[in-house]
Amino acid sequence: MTESRESGAKGEISFAVNGQSKTVLAYPMERLLDVLRQQLQLTGTKEGCGEGECGSCSVLMDGILVNSCLIPVLQANGSSVITIEGLAAGETLHVLQDAFLKCGGAQCGICTPGMILAAFHLLNGKPAPTMEEIREGLSGNLCRCTGYSQIVEAVAEAAGCGTSA
Amino acid sequence: MRANPSEFEMVAPGSLHAIVSLLANEPDVWVPIAGGTDVMVQYAAGKLPARKLVSIWNVPELRRIEVTAGELRIGAGCTYTDLRRHDTVGSEFSLLERAARWTGGVANQNRGTIGGNIVNASPAADSLPALLVYDAELILVSVRGERRLPYVEFHIGYKKTLLAPDELIQAVCLPRRFSGYFCHARKVAARSAQAISKVCIAALGRLADGVVEDVRIALGSVAPVPLRLTETEQTVRGRVLDSELMLLARKVATAEIRPIDDIRSTARYRAAVAGNLVAEFLNRLNSQQTGAQRETVTNVLERWNRLPIDEAMSAILPCCASKAWLQGMVARRPFTDESALLAASNETWRHLTPSDWMEAFQNHPRIGESHPSSLETQSPPIVSSPDQSVEWSAQEQREVADADAVVKIALAGANREYERRFNRIFIVCATGKTALEILEMLRARLNNDAETELHEAAEQQRQITAIRLRKWLQG
Repeated sequence: MTESRESGAKGEISFAVNGQSKTVLAYPMERLLDVLRQQLQLTGTKEGCGEGECGSCSVLMDGILVNSCLIPVLQANGSSVITIEGLAAGETLHVLQDAFLKCGGAQCGICTPGMILAAFHLLNGKPAPTMEEIREGLSGNLCRCTGYSQIVEAVAEAAGCGTSA
Repeated sequence: MRANPSEFEMVAPGSLHAIVSLLANEPDVWVPIAGGTDVMVQYAAGKLPARKLVSIWNVPELRRIEVTAGELRIGAGCTYTDLRRHDTVGSEFSLLERAARWTGGVANQNRGTIGGNIVNASPAADSLPALLVYDAELILVSVRGERRLPYVEFHIGYKKTLLAPDELIQAVCLPRRFSGYFCHARKVAARSAQAISKVCIAALGRLADGVVEDVRIALGSVAPVPLRLTETEQTVRGRVLDSELMLLARKVATAEIRPIDDIRSTARYRAAVAGNLVAEFLNRLNSQQTGAQRETVTNVLERWNRLPIDEAMSAILPCCASKAWLQGMVARRPFTDESALLAASNETWRHLTPSDWMEAFQNHPRIGESHPSSLETQSPPIVSSPDQSVEWSAQEQREVADADAVVKIALAGANREYERRFNRIFIVCATGKTALEILEMLRARLNNDAETELHEAAEQQRQITAIRLRKWLQG
């Protein structure tokens, strides 16, 4: 399994991560998730299932929510990626992060970065979502701790603050 | 075992021309990858046979939707999110919009593409039955040129398609002639979202004066390929849509499919559900009420809304003989339409107690008999069974009346066993069910414990009540 063939040559991948230009040397089929965590040390993005079912590895790529475990890094070339590390402004938490803290929307924390980014993506398109729209917006993100109610409340709370980005 | 990225090569040529040239130069070597929602899952599991991948994600020629006078042309690289956001998809091809909504969560809808769904060729894909009923055509492209073929011919076996090694799906074309149709879609899965279907249906239909002008039905997960039910459609087309035709359609559909046992379900369950889904579609099609029928419902309800309490209770007594239910319904008046009435019935039913249920049960004849019959251990029915109830029982059990003598005898025996075990008659919503199906249900329910069975019987009574309320509304 570890034998490497000449077909797989590393190449330069350039993209913006949380507003900063980055260039990495990677195999084209390396997962964006692994490049973020291992090469860029952005370990806020979590791996859950590794097959696009759980949403733990959610990030925004060119403004859309994606599962970074399903993105070959070559497809991220030239894109702009936002991870959970990109939401807070220095020491000031993003309104969603505050709301998750306030409402108890995080327990073990594995799903939380993905949840917050899914909520961020939702509120960008719909600043005042209904409860139903919140549930649908988070439907690809699984949580095994909270039972979801506090998460949905947190997103509603954040939306009530009238800030979405 | 996870795949090792160093063993894979990947290129992203960007233009459609460059992609098909690559496929032509080394056919069967390069595998296209769009949003990766299937390919990357195989890759993660170490099960991706290809070693060379060509990215077709976000290629402009593949990611546009064009609307012409005659058709909607959807680029194969359009995502589910693209489909959900497109006005014409929503207004004229709502079955496709619904399938897109059901497929995965937001992130997967942002990346999964219609072309990928077609090439992946899963018989369980939710969007493919919709393409079948809309008479979709595919445009396949290679350096040799373009060819166009009906989608119904494209899938030739389990995960097998007519796509040549040097070809790519460029677009899916839908003729714009279905906006006047009634459309129906339903997915049956472990959950209503985020789960692969056990069975799913997409169907279109058009009625004129109760006669089926046209009907188009397709099912997923019931055969090696997404299946158009042509025999069922032929059975129904041009005929008056009554309960007999619905029953026949259900039988033809069940015989037409080729379901299998797998990790998600069994062939037997799938066959039963497929029949139910076809029947449900035809029922809905039928209940698209004509102006005259709507008027009848309005008249029936208006008159009933004004009746004194006792008379109002008697009027709906044939629907359900529980006194608490009757009182609850009358207290919830006034009603203006069928759906409000049915919702109120369900709500009232939820608050009933087991003794109320028993009261309702006692007004039904034994399956296979025509008049309510009390058991020796039971007190006689509180209210005498109205003639209307007897007539409806006969209609509901029509199939049983026509059954083989052997089945009838078996049914009588099983009824006796049930009564010995549970001390009341067997309650089942018999409408549309054959004697054999009822017999199977009866035998299965004999294995229930008393508590489970009481709740099951109550649920059956709730269904019977809803069906009877609808009949009552027709005057």
